Amino acid sequence: MSGGGPTRKRNFKIEAFKHRVELDPKYAERTWKVLEHAIHEIYNHNASGLSFEELYRSAYNMVLHKYGEKLYDGLQNTMTSRLKEISKSIETAQGGLFLEELNARWMDHNKALQMIRDILMYMDRTYVPTAHRTPVHELGLNLWRDHIIHSPMIHSRLLDTLLDLIDRERMGEVINRGLMRSITKMLMDLGPAVYQDDFEKPFLEVSASFYSGESQEFIECCDCGNYLKKAERRLNEEMERVSHYLDAGSEAKITSVVEKEMIANHMHRLVHMENSGLVNMLVDDKYEDLGRMYALFRRVPDGLSTIRDVMTSYLRETGKQLVTDPERLKDPVEFVQRLLNEKDKHDKIISVAFGNDKTFQNALNSSFEFFINLNNRSPEFISLYVDDKLRKGLKGATEEDVEVILDKVMMLFRYLQEKDVFEKYYKQHLAKRLLSGKTVSDDAERSMIVKLKTECGYQFTSKLEGMFTDMKTSQDTMQDFYAKKSEELGDGPTLDVHILTTGSWPTQPSPPCNLPTEILTVCEKFRSYYLGTHNGRRLTWQTNMGTADIKATFGKGQKHELNVSTYQMCVLMLFNNADGLTYKDIERDTEIPASDLKRCLQSLACVKGKNVLRKEPMSKDISEDDTFYFNDKFTSKLVKVKIGTVVAQKESEPEKQETRQRVEEDRKPQIEAAIVRIMKSRRVLDHNSIVAEVTKQLQARFLPNPVVIKKRIESLIEREFLERDKVDRKLYRYLA
Amino acid sequence: MYTPTTTSTRGRVRLNVGGRVFETTSATLASAGRDTMLGAMVDASWNSGVHDDPAEYFIDRDPCCFAVLLDLLRTGDLHVPPGLPEATLYREALYYGLLGRVRSARLGDFDPDRLRLASSVHGRSPGDGVAIRAAPDGGCCVSHGGASGVVRVYNWMLQERRPVYHPAHAPVNDAAYLDASTLLLAARERPGRRDDDGGVSSFSALTGETRHRFRVAHDRQPRSFTATALAFDGGCDVFASCKGRINEYGVAVWDCNTGEQADFFYEPPGCALGEADRLQWLEETNTLMVATMFPRTDSSFVTLLDFREKSVVWSWSDVGTPASIEDKHAVDAVAMEDGRSLCVVNQYDDLGFLDLRKNASGVRWRSRSKLAMSDGKTKKAACGEEACYPKLAAHGGRLFASTGDAISVFSGADHVMTSTLRCSNGGAICDFSIGGDRLFALHGEENVFDVWETPPPPII
Repeated sequence: MSGGGPTRKRNFKIEAFKHRVELDPKYAERTWKVLEHAIHEIYNHNASGLSFEELYRSAYNMVLHKYGEKLYDGLQNTMTSRLKEISKSIETAQGGLFLEELNARWMDHNKALQMIRDILMYMDRTYVPTAHRTPVHELGLNLWRDHIIHSPMIHSRLLDTLLDLIDRERMGEVINRGLMRSITKMLMDLGPAVYQDDFEKPFLEVSASFYSGESQEFIECCDCGNYLKKAERRLNEEMERVSHYLDAGSEAKITSVVEKEMIANHMHRLVHMENSGLVNMLVDDKYEDLGRMYALFRRVPDGLSTIRDVMTSYLRETGKQLVTDPERLKDPVEFVQRLLNEKDKHDKIISVAFGNDKTFQNALNSSFEFFINLNNRSPEFISLYVDDKLRKGLKGATEEDVEVILDKVMMLFRYLQEKDVFEKYYKQHLAKRLLSGKTVSDDAERSMIVKLKTECGYQFTSKLEGMFTDMKTSQDTMQDFYAKKSEELGDGPTLDVHILTTGSWPTQPSPPCNLPTEILTVCEKFRSYYLGTHNGRRLTWQTNMGTADIKATFGKGQKHELNVSTYQMCVLMLFNNADGLTYKDIERDTEIPASDLKRCLQSLACVKGKNVLRKEPMSKDISEDDTFYFNDKFTSKLVKVKIGTVVAQKESEPEKQETRQRVEEDRKPQIEAAIVRIMKSRRVLDHNSIVAEVTKQLQARFLPNPVVIKKRIESLIEREFLERDKVDRKLYRYLA
Repeated sequence: MYTPTTTSTRGRVRLNVGGRVFETTSATLASAGRDTMLGAMVDASWNSGVHDDPAEYFIDRDPCCFAVLLDLLRTGDLHVPPGLPEATLYREALYYGLLGRVRSARLGDFDPDRLRLASSVHGRSPGDGVAIRAAPDGGCCVSHGGASGVVRVYNWMLQERRPVYHPAHAPVNDAAYLDASTLLLAARERPGRRDDDGGVSSFSALTGETRHRFRVAHDRQPRSFTATALAFDGGCDVFASCKGRINEYGVAVWDCNTGEQADFFYEPPGCALGEADRLQWLEETNTLMVATMFPRTDSSFVTLLDFREKSVVWSWSDVGTPASIEDKHAVDAVAMEDGRSLCVVNQYDDLGFLDLRKNASGVRWRSRSKLAMSDGKTKKAACGEEACYPKLAAHGGRLFASTGDAISVFSGADHVMTSTLRCSNGGAICDFSIGGDRLFALHGEENVFDVWETPPPPII
């Protein structure tokens, strides 16, 4: 059966053969002569006398009668000889006319090629694909390439002319762009390889050496800003050149040459240029120059990271100076304000000049995080800044302004590693604001709490919120107390009690002092009322806090209302019964702790304009041998006199130590809890993994010290929560 | 009434075709395109010296065919009067360079629900056809079994071209059109032959000449191997499932332009890659589906390969499926065009679906979704015909399945059967293929294939 196929094939051939009429070989020769003549006439611009239909039919007949090969070869030879003639006429063109002649001849050839293709269309459709020949149009282009463009007399002359023209344009001359466009388009039409090998590659090489020289020249004599301007202009010029007369595919290549020569090779020198480099631009807010630098550098590899690195180290350096300068530490509000200003400044640079680049924002954030935490008082200062703003700073500010300021503070807050320290301070400051009634706006306070809550979670703010609740219930309780007991109380002093839940407030337990009897009676009545309504509670008087308004009559009958602290009130009340008292007397009668008493007496006797007491001997400081007298001669323009307590707003050194101590104490159970949580789920874990996981879990609040973690682990082993693995001492096991 | 002749005759053209005079406008002729004889004839470059009005041309061709073609240019509609042989019309269209136009007027856009049987073509090969493949331009090729290794090639006019023979007449297992003029064949090696027998080659579909032999080399030595199935991707890679003599089982990859071997993916355990029934390139996921089906092997395997990572990304097999379920076997598989699911069919014509996005999922068989009508089935049994296993194809969002002597078309997300294509003579359909706006169905006996086309849509 396998022989069936070929047999049939042979049959088929014979069958087809029968219908063919063998043509006179002279016919083919004659027909070809007609066509050859036509091709010459077309090249001679003499086609008007030719009949297209006749020529088409002639070519058709040749192909039909199996003279396709003769036709094709004839075409190839005729066209080759024509092109050789054309080549000579182009070679003889003088100087500037060379390109024009080449272009004109190219146009002619194209038109002729089109018409020849018209005639030979049938051959193109039938003979060419089956015989695997090159289609007529492509053949015409290939012959042009081989006999014109690659002819030794034209090849290098063409390239030199093109490169010379481009060079002249770079130097500012005006050239015939239309002609350039036609020539480069010709090269492209001949195939991308021709354009690339015969023009683009040398063009890029020449450009590279041009820009290498020019950039060297510029960098010696220009400052950074000017250099970048020139580089930008050159880059735009090259892109414009591509759009006018080069192939679009060259744009990426030529721009990368300019980028490499003008930017990448000089990147570091530019960034670090003395008096005009990146740091100077940042200092002087040169948005335009920075924007240009960003736009140019982003084009080259490692360009942006170079800018970013320099910016980061600059930020860290200035930030470090800012937070460690002892001068600046004197005023916390100013300190935080400076940080905020610095942040605003760079935010603006990033948004205006760096297109809000995320990587730059990250670099800015990490720099801030780095230097804010260099100073361990940053949490305290930020809290103080908020305190300042919520106390008085925001008076007259609209709600939006408040929000803006608080948002900015939150931004700094995010950078803090020791968020729990901030919480400690914030609690203290908030307590002071609430108890002294100094808060400007309840809304602003609550808004701040909400922000902290969204940032750190419910746990972080639960106590702060408890303080607000206490304030509210206290108010209600007092109203109720006076409503029910008003007859009983008579005309005694008015009492306003804040009932503070233990634990929510940053109170230091201090022994209560001896209150004046007038006050004590009211206090006792309140105590019995309160305990009567709330079973099982305990009230402790915090006499180290609170204020009192007392009326005092001085010599000449001058009456003043004095606003004083509880301690001061206790001291002053003693003078109702005595004109002069020694320090010892006062200390004995009031039982106020010595340090507080000294501060209290200092503020009553030593502050000019508020010295309702007179001290003997006169001096700035209080000593235990002093004697105090009621100052009869006290005068003031104001009816109400507020006598402040001499107290450092900022924490003193021992207080700071104490706060730190407390923070460290508070951290211990948190670290232990984290360890137990982790071990409960993982059962067995090695030391380094525990440290890593604990750090991860707690970093929202603070950065635990590995040494402390180790101590906690040891403590847990002692208490038999964990044990060491008997074989591998680095492994811990959880004991259920 | 005087009408200025200048306006009335502007653009008018008088044609004398073989003695019959036609009048038309140069715009009508130019609409054929600059790369046609008529378009070039009226182009300005050939009429610079002529100022006749109306322009006159003489064309030494048959007027009847010209009338049909002029009508085509005027209306876009091909109407062939009875008695005009199609072959003559095609010849004339080729003269004017209008063959492409005739083709697109002849073949409407493929619409599975409006297919009409256009013709049945009887072959002259001694053996029965085993596979049919549609060419992108509307032609096709039919591979014949037996020892001859001949592949009959038809152009879109269904004229038979020079047949293609695999070197040394190796029997052909699978064929694929790389493009309208390049045909790939996968052949079987025969025992006892020299090294370098069988394998994959590419041919010119126009002349039947060999273009490349795609060789598999082991230890730098080209080896004989049997290629069972073929596929190619959107780039220039050709894939074939290969089985060598010394256990070189796997999928070979070549560059279709150079014929150089680019890769060889050896068969991992648990997958059958070396003697697949069907390879399919999935453009959406850049993976190659390799399906080895019952009855070539005892169980059916479908594997998805990712050549970028050289890994198996998905696989399924019915090994271990309880045999009690009526001894059903998947006999063909095709990945749907979105690359998300795979359709399989068993020897009882049930369709099943697999999710390609999840590994290790089972087949969701469509409950009793009989493709063929019950009478088709009984007829098959009654006549005692040699059964042809069902075949599947996915095209234009539709699913096609051959069952017995009919092809069913399923549409929509739920694969509802919307059409059935049946031509009674020739017996069961052993293979079918869709491409070039046509569907070709090859019958298992009688050496005949049917051509289904979509007629041009009605004007109103």
